[in-house]
Amino acid sequence: MKTQSAINTYLKETGGWVASQLEACTRCGICAEACHFYQALGNPEYAPIWKLEPLRRAYEQRFTVAGKLKLALGLEKKITDKDLEHWSKIVYEACTVCNKCAHVCPMGIQLGPLIHDVRAGMAAAGVVPGDLAEATEKQKTIGSPLGVTDEMWRERIDWITEEWEAEIPVDKAGAETLVAFSSIELMKFPDNLAAIAKILNKAGENWTVSSTGREVVNFGYFEADEELTKLFMYRVFKAAEELGVKKIIISECGHAYEAFRWTAPNIMKVPRGVEILHISEYIHELWKTGRIKIKEGAFDGQTITFHDSCKIQRRGGIIKQLRELLHVLAPKSFKEMIPNKEQSMCCGGGGGVISIKEADANRYAVFQMKLEQLRDIQAEAVCMVCSNCRLQFVDSLAHFNSTVKVHGLSELVSKALV
Amino acid sequence: MNWTEIMNFSRGPLLQVSMMIFIVGMTYRLVRVILLGWERDRVKNKGSKLWGVILNYLKGLLVLPFIPWVRRTFRNNELTFIAGGLFHLSLFLILAFGTAHVLVWKSLCGFGWKSLPTPVLAFFSSVGIISMIVLLINRLTHPVLKLLTKLPVWINWLLVFLPMITGFIMARHLWFRYEVIFSLHLISVSLLLIWIPLSRVSHFLFYFFSKTIHGAQAGKRAVMP
Repeated sequence: MKTQSAINTYLKETGGWVASQLEACTRCGICAEACHFYQALGNPEYAPIWKLEPLRRAYEQRFTVAGKLKLALGLEKKITDKDLEHWSKIVYEACTVCNKCAHVCPMGIQLGPLIHDVRAGMAAAGVVPGDLAEATEKQKTIGSPLGVTDEMWRERIDWITEEWEAEIPVDKAGAETLVAFSSIELMKFPDNLAAIAKILNKAGENWTVSSTGREVVNFGYFEADEELTKLFMYRVFKAAEELGVKKIIISECGHAYEAFRWTAPNIMKVPRGVEILHISEYIHELWKTGRIKIKEGAFDGQTITFHDSCKIQRRGGIIKQLRELLHVLAPKSFKEMIPNKEQSMCCGGGGGVISIKEADANRYAVFQMKLEQLRDIQAEAVCMVCSNCRLQFVDSLAHFNSTVKVHGLSELVSKALV
Repeated sequence: MNWTEIMNFSRGPLLQVSMMIFIVGMTYRLVRVILLGWERDRVKNKGSKLWGVILNYLKGLLVLPFIPWVRRTFRNNELTFIAGGLFHLSLFLILAFGTAHVLVWKSLCGFGWKSLPTPVLAFFSSVGIISMIVLLINRLTHPVLKLLTKLPVWINWLLVFLPMITGFIMARHLWFRYEVIFSLHLISVSLLLIWIPLSRVSHFLFYFFSKTIHGAQAGKRAVMP
């Protein structure tokens, strides 16, 4: 029963786009070398292509002669409930959908999006790790995966406004820009939220936050439940339409940017003429057009590096702009980690992994590789533009007793404002 | 049946039938995949899709297989990557410019081109065979490949290897009588042609899909493929 709904989802998703890529695989296994979970833990089942097994089997057994032959000859079996449970752990707890594998695959197979499709089947069958399902449920009913209620949200915004003396307009009619924050920023990194507010105020931006479209994180997208993905984005889009804004700015959350910028138009109705931007590219634009000024060399002194987030850099293309900013903020002390940019290694907390307690061991093992990269360049501080990455960095650096400091890029820019 | 008869059978009816199976089978698979439907991409591009696709092919064909060090990710399996690249390069050179193959192409297309000098062909066919053996050893020992490799993949390897080794022996005039080795070469080629539509050796066709998709995805997001 469970399995059938997963299989139905797989078959529904299998258009030419999915099928042609599944057919292109030569079983060369090179994708494993790109996977930080495989690298860190050595479990061959973490090879990205192996994560596609349920999808591949569903597709081949339904649509291809070879698949039907293999089934008839007993070389391969149908997917069972047990298989789903087995692969659920692999695709949710040992994959951040970082899509580095796609850049390594000699055939160019988009393993990340295909693993997302595998997750979709798991979500349809209800075989999702408990912690992830719980957070998703909270976002559905309360409006935030961390359980932030409307009241708590308002109190928190008021508190940040006072504490950091940063004005945050709420539900401002006639605003041009809607900024959607995540609960993580609100609860764990209020400094970053205040920093963004300060930058926008300094630039004279006519902006607002919305009390109805207040959560940008999308746990439906982590789970790959399309209906919930749409619902959570709909809340923000609806707020944007009601406020009549021209831009939606996605704050520091990678998966949210991926969902709003690159996925929404293909799965739902999006407000017409509303531009979707990530806060980091917008800050760069404000600086480039002279609306804000940054003190040169404000952070020179200690070696600082930048962590590329999968969904904002490798999958979002906001790469060069941020280097320009960093070369102003710390022209002498900025140093790249290796590998970086499109080839950078994921922090290990993305794709919902950090919200799953059972995946903690995986997450820390992966982070050790990141830690080595930090050590190689003797970084004393690291900055980034995704609060999910930042949570993973803060938590894991503490776990390994590291003294490296973690910053949000917006926080650095706001401190260097002149 | 003597070897001359076998040779005539294998270069006549057998080859013709297996070529038919190959063409019909591959057409079926291509059409089958295309007919599954394609959704329109409504997302606004950040960069150029076309440029991404062009860059991706150039890198994939010229750089990555031969200079894997440009991506640090490959530091753990440079050998596999280079062996894969050299195998495909050798295969292409021998198929397109091998002395006997040029004659086959000429009879098929009506026009021909010059073949490569024999020492060059000997070099690349050896490289191709050695690469295949390296890849086999890798497949036998790498934990991920052990997990991924089921019976059909072993058959893939064998059926690709047989035409190569028989062709090599024939071109170097080693050990066997001409009729014998020529028959064996053609029989193995026929087996491969029949096997391709049923297996992942067909990846040469779907390569153009996935490679184009990756280039377009990178291009539209303005990242390096």
